[in-house]
Amino acid sequence: MRSSAAATRLYRRRRFVNALNLGASVLATAFGLFWLVWLLWTLVSHGYQWINLDLFTLPTPPPGSAGGLSNAIVGSLMLTGVGVAIGTPVGVLAGTYLSEFARASRLASVVRFVNDVLLSAPSILIGVFIYNIAVVTMGHFSGWAGGLALALIVIPVVVRTTEDMLRLVPDSLREAAAALGAPRWRVVLVIVYRAARAGILTGVLLAVARISGETAPLLFTALNNQFWSTNMGQPMANLPVVIFQFAMSPYKDWHHLAWAGALLITFTILILNIIARILVRTRKTGH
Amino acid sequence: MEPETLLSADRVASVEPGTASAGAAPVRAPRPVPERSGNDTLGPQTGPDARSDVKIRVRGLNFHYGKFQALHDISLEIRERYVTAFIGPSGCGKTTLLRAFNRIYELYPDQRASGEVILDGENILDPRQDLNLLRARIGMVFQKPTPFPMSIYDNIAFGVRLYERLSRTRMGERVEWALRKAALWGEVKDKLKQTGTQLSGGQQQRLCIARAIAVKPEVLLLDEPASALDPISTAHIEELLDELKKDYTIVIVTHNMQQAARVSDYTAFMYLGKLIEFSATDRIFTNPQRKETEDYISGRYG
Amino acid sequence: MNKIEIGHHISQQFNTELEDIRQRVLAMGGLVEQQIGDALSALVDADIQLAEVVVRSDYKVNAMEVAIDEECTHIIARRQPAATDLRLVVAVIKTITDLERIGDEAERIARMALRLAEAGNGGARKHFTQIEYMGDRVRKMMHEALDAFARTDPNAAVAVWRKDQRIDEEYEAIMRQLITFMMEDPRSIPVVLDVMWSARALERIGDRARNICEYVIYLVRGKDVRHTSLEQMEKEARKGTGGAGA
Repeated sequence: MRSSAAATRLYRRRRFVNALNLGASVLATAFGLFWLVWLLWTLVSHGYQWINLDLFTLPTPPPGSAGGLSNAIVGSLMLTGVGVAIGTPVGVLAGTYLSEFARASRLASVVRFVNDVLLSAPSILIGVFIYNIAVVTMGHFSGWAGGLALALIVIPVVVRTTEDMLRLVPDSLREAAAALGAPRWRVVLVIVYRAARAGILTGVLLAVARISGETAPLLFTALNNQFWSTNMGQPMANLPVVIFQFAMSPYKDWHHLAWAGALLITFTILILNIIARILVRTRKTGH
Repeated sequence: MEPETLLSADRVASVEPGTASAGAAPVRAPRPVPERSGNDTLGPQTGPDARSDVKIRVRGLNFHYGKFQALHDISLEIRERYVTAFIGPSGCGKTTLLRAFNRIYELYPDQRASGEVILDGENILDPRQDLNLLRARIGMVFQKPTPFPMSIYDNIAFGVRLYERLSRTRMGERVEWALRKAALWGEVKDKLKQTGTQLSGGQQQRLCIARAIAVKPEVLLLDEPASALDPISTAHIEELLDELKKDYTIVIVTHNMQQAARVSDYTAFMYLGKLIEFSATDRIFTNPQRKETEDYISGRYG
Repeated sequence: MNKIEIGHHISQQFNTELEDIRQRVLAMGGLVEQQIGDALSALVDADIQLAEVVVRSDYKVNAMEVAIDEECTHIIARRQPAATDLRLVVAVIKTITDLERIGDEAERIARMALRLAEAGNGGARKHFTQIEYMGDRVRKMMHEALDAFARTDPNAAVAVWRKDQRIDEEYEAIMRQLITFMMEDPRSIPVVLDVMWSARALERIGDRARNICEYVIYLVRGKDVRHTSLEQMEKEARKGTGGAGA
């Protein structure tokens, strides 16, 4: 039997250690949040006054004249659209292969490893790669090259999330469908996809969020276009590159547009993230 | 010992289908009901058994998970339109045995079975067997309710659509029929469009049973169907089994010995991958012949 | 499975409960045995006091039956016994019913003893030798039946079961003799009738002891041998010695 004095001492010590650790964690969180809030504050305070209708209707102006970001916004949408349109099917199919058909095979583990490397590869590398195989061979920058570069970023993200989400579908569901005599493809298509639908969609949304801010790969591929253009065969304006160029310029009004563009992108990503979270949550409560 | 009392006279005349396969025992031989002394399993070692009411005959079944052998030389007979229960401690192989009956284990590459599982004269372990058609004849219900993420209606229609093209009205009738059979119709008839996942656990499990019988199988395999359910839902399911055995051959794996005693006509006790004793349930629970069985069902340590 | 084990359950408490009902049946059996003995002594010795003791003690037997019955009900409700355990509980419930009835028969004999002794009728005395002889046999049979139950020995149970035939024969003989007495001397009829009732009670005790033997065979072999032939019963009892078993 331990004496009560010793027990009290032990209890005090534990309370002290607990308080110390709790305090340290709170401080670390506050430190991280501090920078984030400062960053967002700077962004909003510099950018909000330049958000107006012109921003969405006028193309990028020459220095000193009025203008907006309409060509860059549309260009970004198109590039992102092409990236997702190419990347999603490839990514979903590859993720399906990994989760449903080759779970334990050697090939699958190789594919998984390569995919993880690609996932963490610096995006400028992808830009250089597409520059080499598309821009150099075509002889000029183009929207297609930009979309392709973005697709290459989308694929590993979607592969990964798809595989993870499909694996979250319990085997018992697959067994139940198989026990009814459903062939494998039908099990995947009708049962597994349906159960993982929200998860896969979330992955795609996160991939969109990721590429909508990418600058490096677009610098080498879509480049920029000062004028209104929806021709994918030609260089194409897009928000990240415009922000990059305008922010580096010596002109005040270009700086304003850069802030506004940055705010726009941040806001879009925020919304995408919120949607993704809602999707994940409804998926959880749905079961 | 033969459970003579269970074999009522009206069954003697039933005709066995599927005599095509070579090597099948001659059917409709006169059926004496001999007293088999000294042998507890209803297996092939008891001599040629040409009962017309044997639905599944297992012969020398071995099962491996990778290098681990989970079943050792299992032989037994499942009778048509009776409930057969597999009992035994965890890891004794009862679920493994059940999963060999529809080859569901084949979803996993390192699991394999050898020996024979003969359904109406055809060895279903034969690789040439059409798996999907086989599974249409042998339905399965799992431990945890597994409603598909779709409406109650579609949950049931899913399986039916695999085999039959039915008009809307016919499909509707089939769905209703299956739900009625599973004693769930009254509770869900007004919400067929709702997702199956919104039902209670017991309802979900009855939905799974309805889904399994909607494709009109001949055999129903149940893997601890009530282990995740409360006593009331369990009672519903057990009552249902009593009803279903009029039309189906039912094999149930259960941890709950009282449940086996309540619902089954025959009981197989398994231990360490071997079939220890197989006989009429009344007999197993009042007068088992093997000490292992006695110890298990009366809660003794061996 | 030639031996019946009550112990070795994972639940120690269950072991204790089963052992407890078994012990209580044996205790009840002991009490009933004593009642028979005392009732017979009272009859033969015209011992009014002893006869009164027997009559007053019957409530003890009844109380024991009720208590054991209750405990069996508890075991069934809470333990859901199976196999041997189930058969033990069933055998106990049936055995105590018979024991209680045997107790009633003993009480009946004691009441006869009272009546005969109070009437001071020495005329009955000459019939007692035979009653005494039959009573001894019945007591011995009772004792052996309980012994077979205690040892869960089906072979012993069959041997005891057989003895009932002898008792029945004895009863027949006594009956014939008593009837002769009555025909010879009609005035003795009331006394002889009482003696007859006593003999009848003893014969019934024999039947009930036989029932207990049948329960022992059921307990060990799981076969209900009531209403079967002796040959069938012997076959069942012997089975375990060479048949299936682990």
